[in-house]
Amino acid sequence: MSEGFRRMDFKMGKNIRIVVVGVVSYLLPLTFFFSCSSIDCPVNRLVLTHYQFTNSDGQVLTLLDSLTVSTTRMDGKDTLFNKGSKITNFYLPISHTHPEDELVFHFDGDSLHMTDTLWVKKDDIPHFESVDCNASFFHTLTNIRCTHNLLDSVVITNPSVTNNDQVVHVLLYPKISD
Amino acid sequence: MKFFSLQKDSIPLFRGFAVSFDLAGAGMLMLSDYGQYEAALRVNLHDEWFPIFEAGIGKAKHENEVTFINYNTSAPYFKIGIDKNMLKDKHGPNRLYVGLRYGFTSYKVDITHPDFSDPTWQWNTSFAVKDAACKYHWAEIVIGLDAKIYGPLHLGWSVRYKQRLAHSEDGDWGKPWYVPGFGTYDTKLGGTFNVIIDI
Repeated sequence: MSEGFRRMDFKMGKNIRIVVVGVVSYLLPLTFFFSCSSIDCPVNRLVLTHYQFTNSDGQVLTLLDSLTVSTTRMDGKDTLFNKGSKITNFYLPISHTHPEDELVFHFDGDSLHMTDTLWVKKDDIPHFESVDCNASFFHTLTNIRCTHNLLDSVVITNPSVTNNDQVVHVLLYPKISD
Repeated sequence: MKFFSLQKDSIPLFRGFAVSFDLAGAGMLMLSDYGQYEAALRVNLHDEWFPIFEAGIGKAKHENEVTFINYNTSAPYFKIGIDKNMLKDKHGPNRLYVGLRYGFTSYKVDITHPDFSDPTWQWNTSFAVKDAACKYHWAEIVIGLDAKIYGPLHLGWSVRYKQRLAHSEDGDWGKPWYVPGFGTYDTKLGGTFNVIIDI
């Protein structure tokens, strides 16, 4: 290789080295920038069970009386749903890991005071969205039963309880449908 | 132009191998909660085409101070692909690459949270996803530069656009946060800074 070519090669190599050093000093911070994750938690992070009153014809019923739902917490009684009236559907929390939730439904009207108890069995599935989102549980309803004072029956219509609140999970069939 | 055409000259087809090590991924691993050790073996065909095999170990050990979620994974990953030297002077000391990669990893994740109180019932609740098996396939478009520094030593960098091709997770617990070799789950861009030695 002639001296002229060697000088040219050296000059080009030097230029490229300057480019590499420049780009590296630019690229490394960029690499870290690109590696930063954005917080992407679901807007609706609540996991609730969706109940709906219906009749045997599949028509949605409106409860004319008032409904209060309570349960027994570790420290005693607690109200989960308070005095809902003229409702067709409602949402209740579901326990994270208890194998069976016991829910007491209090129906109160002018001349009506009835109580039914529901037992909801489920499988609990830890749910992970991102390290930036709180720990949560999704559930699969496996069995539901109730006493039959006002309620005739209860049916699981969709067993998968997630943070999708548009899905009805449990249909409640009252004995009195008007 | 044929895709695999070679420049016609007297230079032989096989020009040797090069090994490289990525310093950017190792730096990330040292300075943040995740990163990777990655090495590559590149074949030089006529200074123009460079079939490449990349392998590494990707790791994440993250403890979130706000949500208290702990995420742990460590697994090998593999990438194969090819680069093309886009410079007009193919046989010069420096190269400008454009290339493609296919990447794959099979890994397990542990996601844990300290016991906490059920917000409604107040019972003690434990949260853990243990040894969840996952698989991840992805593709990368690579643009890179490689400059000869001295003798067989080169330095180079690459910018990579990544696209998930397929994934599977064992169970219904959700989706992974970090995938070894790919980065965080929805990552689109990445980069490497390579020390390369011709052998």
